[in-house]
Amino acid sequence: MMIRFLACIFGIVVIVYACKKDVTVAIQTPYELKIPSHFPDMIIPADNPMTVEGVALGRKLFHDKLLSGDQSMSCATCHMPESSFSDHNQFSTGITGGIGTRNSMALINLGWQEFFFWDGRAKSLEEQILEPVPNPVEMHLNWKEAQARLNANDEYKTLFVRAFGTNKIDSSLVAKAIAQFLRTMISGKSKFDVMYKYENNIPFDAGDQAIYQSVTASEWAGYDLFKSLNGADCFHCHNGPLMQVKKFSNNGLDGAFADLGYGKVTGNPNDNGKFKVPTLRNIALSAPYMHDGRFQTLDEVIEHYSTGIVQSPTIDPLIEFAFQGGVQLNANEKDLLKQFLMTLTDYDFVNNPDFKAP
Amino acid sequence: MKKMIFLTALTLVAFSSCKEDKVEPGTPAVAPTLEVKVQPVFGSTSLQSDVAYTTAEGYEVKFTDLKFFMTNVSNGTNVLTSAALFDWMETGTSFISVKGDKANFSSLSANLGVGATENHADPSAFPNDNVLNIAIANDMHWSWNPGYIFMKVEAKVDTIPDGTALFDHNVVFHVGLDVNLQSWSVSGLTWATMNASTSRATLKLDLEKFLQNNGQNIDLKTEFSTHSASGQEALSLKVIENFKAAIGKL
Repeated sequence: MMIRFLACIFGIVVIVYACKKDVTVAIQTPYELKIPSHFPDMIIPADNPMTVEGVALGRKLFHDKLLSGDQSMSCATCHMPESSFSDHNQFSTGITGGIGTRNSMALINLGWQEFFFWDGRAKSLEEQILEPVPNPVEMHLNWKEAQARLNANDEYKTLFVRAFGTNKIDSSLVAKAIAQFLRTMISGKSKFDVMYKYENNIPFDAGDQAIYQSVTASEWAGYDLFKSLNGADCFHCHNGPLMQVKKFSNNGLDGAFADLGYGKVTGNPNDNGKFKVPTLRNIALSAPYMHDGRFQTLDEVIEHYSTGIVQSPTIDPLIEFAFQGGVQLNANEKDLLKQFLMTLTDYDFVNNPDFKAP
Repeated sequence: MKKMIFLTALTLVAFSSCKEDKVEPGTPAVAPTLEVKVQPVFGSTSLQSDVAYTTAEGYEVKFTDLKFFMTNVSNGTNVLTSAALFDWMETGTSFISVKGDKANFSSLSANLGVGATENHADPSAFPNDNVLNIAIANDMHWSWNPGYIFMKVEAKVDTIPDGTALFDHNVVFHVGLDVNLQSWSVSGLTWATMNASTSRATLKLDLEKFLQNNGQNIDLKTEFSTHSASGQEALSLKVIENFKAAIGKL
């Protein structure tokens, strides 16, 4: 009897070990994304399905300073909620005092992006996440050491088992977890969203009618300017529910390029001076502006497009008033445009407790 | 001995429990694929993005963006596809790739553009693989009531033939609006057999013809911009009519 019992135990052990190497049985709970009704579906990578456990782990990792060399920085250090998950400094400062050359991008609706960084060099969110940790001017921790720290941490070993069914932690799983968390960071509840639904005959959700009633005449007038060819002419690049189109553009900042941007990635001179078109969502919160953070205020940005456009061989042909330096808005038009840009602020998003440190 | 057999059996069960179910090899029928390519040309020359072409007026032009929608691409009751997007810079000459029988598509007709009902529908509500979904349509949709941009031509032009290359004259043609929807057709289509399961028909998009369409010429120096706005009706119509005429059999 005892031998038969031991044999059964042995059999169970064999079954478990036959099915894994470092894999431990764990059940993940599917995570249901809250996609706004006027957004397209988010396409989730087949090899990184969203789970409650993965999102929770990603959130913890995003806010954990363990992933920097001297444990003084986390991802959130340069992507602060109050700045719409960007950095209010022109350039972020790394743990050794090194300073980057581009402004930290706002982390909004990343699940719909197809390329990442200002120059688009990363083609997936998971790929993008692998860069800041070892970057000497950012978190400056090589992945080997980062993995060692995490593998020596019992809490993380448990969390990785829950999220991915393994306690062997590597950089790809860290990236997957943080990517899952970032995909939950969806902004679609600003005043603009109700204006967009109204313009596109999309049914209102609960509460939208009240927001619609609160849109001022000046905000509507600013929106008209935003999409007017003879007004601010912004809509070619900032369009749709995401308030951006998927492209790289030279928006007339310089005549010669200190930073080649997308051109350095492609090696094509026709791409020199082009950078990813960013979303305008939460633009009032995400100063400073442009790839190099050269403009501190929205007023400066509006002035750039109004009078500060500089011609160059790769300038976007859609900046049609470049020949006269810009769209030449008067003071009242600038004010109306700014009022419209303020409607893009989504306070529910920046104040969402689910995005803050656990 | 019994115990040994029991343990061996258990071990075998353990390993076999981890195997994926075997799928018996079958002989599924391979549905034929029909591909439609669009080759941009300038007259008799295949178009390249970094090459300048000379217009009838003597201007040098480099085309930087060519896109268009066709919808309800069909031959009578046989529908090849409900919607297709051509995007030269992103996907080259690719246009349509669907399952179908080439015998049903010796001719094709389509809307150049998007019909009114779909043109004003929620662009996020189309299925994920439909080119009218805003995630794919991208900058081919105005985010308010006019709907989709039916066709887009962008170019940089040197209008001064002084021997110095200076492509500082921008051309932007974005045509949409229900009133500009065009009916397009082609007959006598030839399907080339690419392999056992794929046949291909190739169309051309002739930018020279686009600029010189039986006397309805577009002078890029003076006619260089339309977004289908009020006051741009005449040029918008000429642009999309010429564009329609420029698409035909290779």
